[in-house]
Amino acid sequence: MIRQWHIALACLIAIGGCAALPLVAGPYALGIGLSLLMWIALAESWAMFSGLSGYISLGHAAFYGAGAYVTVLLWLVVPLWLAIPVSGLAAALLAGCLGWPCLRVRGPYFVILTLGVSEFIKYVVISTEAGLGRNGRLLIGTPSLGVLFEAMLALTVASMIVLYVVRSARLGTGLLAIREDEVAAEAVGVNAPALKLLAFVLSAIIPGMVGGLMILRSTYFEPLQAFSPTTSFTIVTIAILGGSDEVPGPLLGAVLLVLMSELLWARAPEIYMIILGALLVAFVLFVPEGLVGRAQRLFGAAEE
Amino acid sequence: MNLSILLSGQLLASVLVLASLYALVAIGLNLVYGTMRLLNVAHGELVMLGGYVAYWGFVRFGISPLLSALIAMALAALAGALIYIAVIRRLFRSVRLLQRVESNSLLLFFGISIIVQNAAALAFTANNRGYQYLDNVVAIGDARVAANRLAALAIAATACFACVLFFRYARSGMAMRAIIQHRDAAALVGIDVDRINVQVFALGFALAALAGALISTTQEISPFMGFPFTVSGFVIIILGGLGNLTGSIFGAVVLAAVEVYGVALISPSFRSILVYGVFIAVLLLRPQGLLGRSIRAR
Repeated sequence: MIRQWHIALACLIAIGGCAALPLVAGPYALGIGLSLLMWIALAESWAMFSGLSGYISLGHAAFYGAGAYVTVLLWLVVPLWLAIPVSGLAAALLAGCLGWPCLRVRGPYFVILTLGVSEFIKYVVISTEAGLGRNGRLLIGTPSLGVLFEAMLALTVASMIVLYVVRSARLGTGLLAIREDEVAAEAVGVNAPALKLLAFVLSAIIPGMVGGLMILRSTYFEPLQAFSPTTSFTIVTIAILGGSDEVPGPLLGAVLLVLMSELLWARAPEIYMIILGALLVAFVLFVPEGLVGRAQRLFGAAEE
Repeated sequence: MNLSILLSGQLLASVLVLASLYALVAIGLNLVYGTMRLLNVAHGELVMLGGYVAYWGFVRFGISPLLSALIAMALAALAGALIYIAVIRRLFRSVRLLQRVESNSLLLFFGISIIVQNAAALAFTANNRGYQYLDNVVAIGDARVAANRLAALAIAATACFACVLFFRYARSGMAMRAIIQHRDAAALVGIDVDRINVQVFALGFALAALAGALISTTQEISPFMGFPFTVSGFVIIILGGLGNLTGSIFGAVVLAAVEVYGVALISPSFRSILVYGVFIAVLLLRPQGLLGRSIRAR
C-alpha cells in the first residue's frame, strides 16, 4: 500500500511541475511540451479503445479533425470554455454514428474501414468548405500558449485517468476478453457490441477536445491538415513503441517520438521519417510488447 | 450538362485504361493478402518505384519506358523476394506475431512504406516529374486517346490476361490458388508453401512496378504518389472479394467506371468522396465482395 502512495505522490508532483512550466519555460520549450502532451493525450485515448479491445482504429484523425472543425465553427459564437467541451461531444457523437456500423466488422476489415471512413470525412469537409467558398479559416485573438498548455495538461491527465479507471473496471475487463476471443467472451455473457461502442465513443471525446485546442494553437484551419491520416498513424506508432494497453506505455512512446522529432524534424525531415519507419518495423518484429512491456519483463520479476 | 457524354467512346476509353492499370495493382495486393493474410500498405510504393525506373531509364539513358518496365519488374521481383526472406519469414516464425498477423503486417508495411517514400524523396527530391513519350493523339471512332495511354491499356490488359492464364494452368499459379483456399491443406498435399510465398511476393511486386512504369508515361510521378494507388487497390480487392483473383479485375473495372463517370457527371473534386464512399458501402453491406459467396471470418 505504501508503494501505491508513493506512486500517487510522484504523479501529483509531476503534474504540479508540469503545471508550473509556463511560469519558467520559454515559448519554444512550451511549444514542445504542448505537442508532447497532445500526443500523450491522443495515444492514451486510443489505447483505451484499441489497446484494450484489439480493434485497431486508424480513424482517430477524424475525431481530432472534427473537434478542430467544431471549435473553428463555434469561434466567436460561443465562449471557448463551452466550445472545447462541445467539440469533444461532437467527436463522441461522430464516434457513435461511425461505431455503430463499423464495429460490426473485425480484424483487417475494421482497420481499413476506419481509415476509409476518416478519409471520407476529410473529403466531405473539404468539399463543404469549398462549397462555402472558404479556403482555410484564420482565427484571430486565440488564447496564449500558457493557457493552452494548462488546458492540454488537464486533458492529458484526464486521458490517463480514464485509461486507468477503464482498465480496472468491468468495461476494461470485458474489452480485454473481447481482444482475446470475441466469440468466447460473448458466450460467457460479455455484451460485446455495447462495450465496444461505449469504449469507442469514450475514446473519441478527448481527441475531439485536443483537436479543438490544437487548432487554437495553430490559429489556421485547413481540412487537409486537420484530418490528416498521419495523425492516426502517428498515434498507432506511439502506442506500438510504448506498448499499448497500460498508462505508462503511450506516455513513454510519446516522449520518445517527440524527442526524436525535435532533434531531427527541422534539420532532416526525411531522415526523421525514415528512422520512424525503421523503428516501427524493428518494434513490430523484435519488441512487439513495446518498451513498457519489455521493461516489465526485464525488471518486473525482480521488483515484486 | 450533356448526358450524351455518358455514351461517348472517350469516357469508355478512359475507364478501360484506368481499369487495366488498377487491375495490375490490385492483383498483386490480393495475392499477398490471399496467400499470407498480409495487408501490404506499401504496395503503392512499388508503383512509385516502377515509375521512377521508367523515368530515369528514359531521361538518362533514352531507354523506351516499355523496355525499362521489364527492368522495373525484375528489380521489384527481387525486392519482393528479399522483403519476404528478410522480414516476413521472421513475422511467421513468431507465434505471438502470427496471432495478429493482419494488424502486425499492416504496421510493418506502413513502416516500410514511410521508409521507401522518404528515401525516394531524399534521392529524387519531392518534385513532380514527367516526360513525353508516345504523346501523339490517336482517333478511334469518336474517341481521341493519347498513344501512350493506348499502349498502357494494351500492355496492362495483356499482363492481366497472362495472370489469369497463369493462375488457371501453371503449376505455381494453381499452387497459389490452393494456398489461398487453405494454407494447411495445401501444405499437406505437398505444396512448398514457403517457396510459393517467395514467388507470390516477387510476382505481386513485379505487377505493381509494371503498372508504375506504364503510369509514368501518362502522368507525372512523385515520391508520394503511391498512397492513392494503395487505397484504390484495397477498394478493388474488397469489391472483387479478398483472395478472389479474377474478382480483382472485375473490381478494377467497377472502381474505374465509378471514378471516370462520377467525375464526368459531378465534378473532379468529388473523386475521393466517391472512391471512399464506394469503399465504405461495400465494406459495410457486402464485406465478402460483390461476387463473393461466403466469408471466412477473421
